Amino acid sequence: MSELIKVKQQGEARCEGLSYQDLLDNETIEVPAYLREDTNPYMGDEDLSVDRWISRDFHELEKQKLWPKVWQMTCREEDIPEVGDHHVYEIVDQSIIVTRTGENEIKAFINSCLHRGRILRDCDGHAEEFVCPFHGATWDINGNFKGIPCKWDFSHLDQKDMSLPQVKVDTWGGFVFINFDENCQSLEDYLNPLPEHFSRFPLHDYYKGAHVQRVVQCNWKVGAEAFMESFHTLETHSEILTFTGDANSQYDTFGDHVSRSVTPMGVASPHMPEVTEEETMRDILELSGRMATDNAEGHAMPEGLTARSYIAETNREMFSELIGEPLDQATQSELEDAILYMLFPNTQVWIGYNGNIVYRFLPNGDDHNSCIFETMILMRYPKGTQKPEPAEKNILRPDQAFSEAPEIGGLGPVFDQDDSNMAAVQKGMIASRKGAVSLASYQESRIRHLHQTIDKYLNA
Amino acid sequence: MAITDTLIPAVDISDKQTVPVTLNGKNILICKANGEFYAVDNQCTHQRAELTGGRIRNCYLACPLHGVRFDLRTGQPLGELTRVPLKTYDVSLADNGNLQLELD
Ligand code: FES
Ligand SMILES: [Fe+2]
Repeated sequence: MSELIKVKQQGEARCEGLSYQDLLDNETIEVPAYLREDTNPYMGDEDLSVDRWISRDFHELEKQKLWPKVWQMTCREEDIPEVGDHHVYEIVDQSIIVTRTGENEIKAFINSCLHRGRILRDCDGHAEEFVCPFHGATWDINGNFKGIPCKWDFSHLDQKDMSLPQVKVDTWGGFVFINFDENCQSLEDYLNPLPEHFSRFPLHDYYKGAHVQRVVQCNWKVGAEAFMESFHTLETHSEILTFTGDANSQYDTFGDHVSRSVTPMGVASPHMPEVTEEETMRDILELSGRMATDNAEGHAMPEGLTARSYIAETNREMFSELIGEPLDQATQSELEDAILYMLFPNTQVWIGYNGNIVYRFLPNGDDHNSCIFETMILMRYPKGTQKPEPAEKNILRPDQAFSEAPEIGGLGPVFDQDDSNMAAVQKGMIASRKGAVSLASYQESRIRHLHQTIDKYLNA
Repeated sequence: MAITDTLIPAVDISDKQTVPVTLNGKNILICKANGEFYAVDNQCTHQRAELTGGRIRNCYLACPLHGVRFDLRTGQPLGELTRVPLKTYDVSLADNGNLQLELD
């Protein structure tokens, strides 16, 4: 490891070099308040038992006390654009039909027939009414019972409430959320301060340009945590260090449900003092997968400009053109940094003017040793034109690499590197004699935050 | 391999539309999805329901009866209701502007 990393002592220990807040001082555009937030309350430094990721008991506790209580993202509104369109959302052993019932109304029904319990819908699609494939019991899309064949045999059901049970639904940013808990707090309160921080990015009007999913052989939290710190960049993604301020990242927590990491981009890692601005510029274009162009050809570093400014201005120009609206008020940070929010428990969304990445980690059914990793890319389209149709989900086989999904471009090879750790972490934790993991105080604080919030639910 | 004229001008079919045709005694459904033409057997492999009028999203056609979705490119079904793919036919454009199918 480089000699350059000499951390300052005490609770304020940070990597030397330009911090994210220092970089904001160089902005020429007014910096919005949310970027100036710098909040990381001390949460302790205790080891965490590996049971949290590998034990069946912990999974059962989550099943009883976490998933039934949290707001969880199910799909995009654009996935169910027309009345009658529905998405079947499955979480552990529960199944929900998320259905559009009106232009501005979505309902979520328990996916279980009130006759003998068969799931009513096997997959996403469109329905004029829900006809159970077993004996034909039927509900309208609002969940009102319409009947069952051989009605003479069911007079005992006449007095019963045969409406399909519903769970809570709400939307934010074009995402549809559900909550199984009738008495839950409102989605608005739960999300706070996410909507305010995303107020410059109207995600509801972005479209889903890519959606890729694959099973990964690790607990869902191991998957989520692979994207919650930039500390692993040094060893896992060493080829991106020429343009990633990994150890100068900022980590923030906001209340129980929201945290973020901000990793400066377009600057070299503090681990790599020798990198030139030219190298930073070329590599970020070719390797990051997130810039306005992924081809460095024809790009030369103008004298006196930093790579960070050059890339931000290139993005500003190309994104403005794409959106059909000038991005005068965008800071360089918002145009290129990796600003990644987590919404408890399992959804992560990037800030940005185009190509915002979304991650979701779902338990793989009732198996605590595997999860479903999904990534979506939210895209912009020219103002005044019709919103493009959302991408169909590309479900990779367990043996396929993420780089086999061309629609995620440069992210594929990066995910493959992350993927090389995920199952290996699960395996190693199971083999562990120490029986616990230790966390970096600052850089891995969001992981501790995740677990402390989980505990609040499990102990409630 | 016999090429058969469907007598249906390609320009008459709009996106997401399904048009049933009977050719050589077979009930075939012509579909347009994302600007491409597809042709499949007009009979769901789950319960033989007609697929005419089924919803098309991207390149998937949904059976109106229980919602099984078929990939129009391959005929492969999604979900658990059936594992049997739909038969698909190659569609091309004849010189007269009609769609034509390859039937065996
Ligand atoms: S189980 Fe649904 S109709 Fe019988
Ligand atoms: Fe990574």
